[in-house]
Amino acid sequence: MSDHTHPPLTPLQTTTVKYKPEDEVDFVVVGSGAAGGVVAKELSTAGFRVVVLEQGPWRTERDFVHDELAVFDRSLLTNDYSKSPNTFRKTEKEKAKVQPAVAYGRGVGGTSVHFSANFWRFREIDFNEASRKGTLAGTGFADWPITYQELEPYYTKVDWEVGVAGAPGPFDPPRSRPYPMPPHPPKSTGVLLERGAKKLGWTAFPAPMAIVSKQYDGRSACAQCGFCLGFGCEVRAKSSSLVTTIPKAVATKRCEVRPNSYVRKVETDTRGRVTGVKYFDATKKEIYQRAKAVVVCANGAETPRLLLNSKSNLFPNGLANSSGVVGKYLMFNGAGNAMGQFEHEVNGFKGIVATRVVWDLYELDPKLGLVGGGGFDYRFDVTPIGFGFGGLPPDAPKWGSAYKRELQKQYNRTIVAYGHTSSLPVATNSISLDPEVKDDWGLPVIRMTYQDHPQDLKLYKYFADRSKQLLEASGAVHAWALPTDSQEFSVHLLGTCRMGNDPKTSVVDKNNRAHDVKNLFVVDGSSLVTSGRGQPTMTIQALAFRAADQIVGFAKRHEI
Amino acid sequence: MSTLSRRNFVAALGAGAATVWLTAEARDLLAAGKRAAVAAQAQAPFKILTADQAADLDAAASRIVPSDGTPGAHEANVVRFIDESLAGFGKDQRDDVNKLVAELRRLAGERHKGAKSFAALTPGDQDAVIATMEKTKGSHFGLLRAVTVTGMFANPEYGGNANKNGWKLLGFDDHFSWAAPFGWYDRNV
Repeated sequence: MSDHTHPPLTPLQTTTVKYKPEDEVDFVVVGSGAAGGVVAKELSTAGFRVVVLEQGPWRTERDFVHDELAVFDRSLLTNDYSKSPNTFRKTEKEKAKVQPAVAYGRGVGGTSVHFSANFWRFREIDFNEASRKGTLAGTGFADWPITYQELEPYYTKVDWEVGVAGAPGPFDPPRSRPYPMPPHPPKSTGVLLERGAKKLGWTAFPAPMAIVSKQYDGRSACAQCGFCLGFGCEVRAKSSSLVTTIPKAVATKRCEVRPNSYVRKVETDTRGRVTGVKYFDATKKEIYQRAKAVVVCANGAETPRLLLNSKSNLFPNGLANSSGVVGKYLMFNGAGNAMGQFEHEVNGFKGIVATRVVWDLYELDPKLGLVGGGGFDYRFDVTPIGFGFGGLPPDAPKWGSAYKRELQKQYNRTIVAYGHTSSLPVATNSISLDPEVKDDWGLPVIRMTYQDHPQDLKLYKYFADRSKQLLEASGAVHAWALPTDSQEFSVHLLGTCRMGNDPKTSVVDKNNRAHDVKNLFVVDGSSLVTSGRGQPTMTIQALAFRAADQIVGFAKRHEI
Repeated sequence: MSTLSRRNFVAALGAGAATVWLTAEARDLLAAGKRAAVAAQAQAPFKILTADQAADLDAAASRIVPSDGTPGAHEANVVRFIDESLAGFGKDQRDDVNKLVAELRRLAGERHKGAKSFAALTPGDQDAVIATMEKTKGSHFGLLRAVTVTGMFANPEYGGNANKNGWKLLGFDDHFSWAAPFGWYDRNV
């Protein structure tokens, strides 16, 4: 049994202040996820009056269930396609079809409630790869307007504010302060990754995870129950906004979080300034919350949708879209994965998702002719139903006694090697408004247009082969690479309101302020210029802390 | 494509993303799940399936995961899961499941003249029918496998996975807390 003990968790405060819609608050924050939570906490702590609007409910630990069917197949914690469908097409020539294209957390805390909590920092190369390695014609591959060094203090702030467990490895970018707590104990997946990496001349080191490995800030240490990806954490060990930044924002008595508030439009006046936000409450009554400034933190799909839905006479192409790039340059992250079966029990279903990572291929040998790079971890985030469908090799029996025997033998001996990769910003990959399909509130839905760049498909294939090679080096009895087809669905929603110095080619400036609207800020995955190598949330939160610092400065100096 | 066969797990893994299975509201399902546990306990009559349909589906699911020495789909009460889901979140699939049963019966009749049900065939003939379905494009093999796998391994409150027989087969347990060593390799470093 585990040796962790913790005092009983007390219910978290929800309401400490209430504002009237006609009160002009200092800020409305749209979205309460990884970024929105940080912004709300920082702005309210600095003395400002903040209203956070969240489309989903305010759940507590009691609402979380270990139920694979409910979370993966029934969207218990995520966007509900029956009320707000998506449409998808590969190219602009096609008519988009209704199909799920994005998944994000719908509820206070957003996706940080149910994510895996892999908390890789970006490295310096992620900010300046285009100028160091060369850009690629036909893409928007570009440098960021900020550097790793400028963001580093905020990465460190994230480590300590929300709680990140880890230990620096050989490829860890420079850090100004150690991790606040030690890494989680290595699982068999981690031990095997170390073994395989060593054989290939690579180095595995502890995975940085936003899951606390000891009691931290009144939260329990992780119970290693194994229900991270897709599930809410019942012991507050996962460092979601629900249990970190949002409670701190509420405790200032200056921040009101309104759940079940579905934002329709950011309103502007005749001078082109934002005046507040119109949203539907739980009864679908429209409410207009006035504010001096608005911060949109609705994620890389909903943020561009909201801006495009906020068009007016002054902003006929959508709010903050004089560049025409709102919604464009949609990036996911790529993946080149493999699966392997081992002789002894791995029991990957127990414990956190990943305990070791390998970053030796973060940058690739130029001779390979590939763009970008990636990092590896070993997981077994395959829940029982999922394993029954696709946990065995493609040539394994699909039914009968032989199938049953294989399920029985392999469930606890199987590992998925993930090669998480970069992906390129391409203008034609986008989030736009579907011209026909409407949601339950009568608003045009998210239309995704996406096709992986041919260079990216080559990169994914390269990583799938390396993943298989790693598993073999770890001693897998049998290993097989997984297909690397062009993606049609993602949970990493990046790049759709990109950051830049030039208002003609970007949506926000280096401080996350909209080029076109002085009192509008966009802070979430949409401002990323490059995709990084797979785990964007740490960088989204670091950017949010940095943006909040800037916004507080602007507000105090009356520069908003 | 039916909802129950829409889940494409391997493709989703390739994308590095959680799987999505498009259906109705989750809360209905949770309510249905609680009812299912009650119904299974009481051995209540089926809500949607006729007794004959249930017998055929039970027999067919038992060919996907047989009861060969250890509990299979029959002992996991997969057919109860199918009935409960058709009564609730899977109500759009009733037609597809009717077609699945009709296909099983038609192939049973072709295999054994005069056979009116799949359940009446010998296990060997049943396996031959399933093998035919697996090879036939457009058959309902995918649906049969999907409902069996889901009923086998979903939480027991949905009516299947009775006595956690599905999870016991895999060696999975929903234990609230685990501690190192988790597996053989971290125990024997």
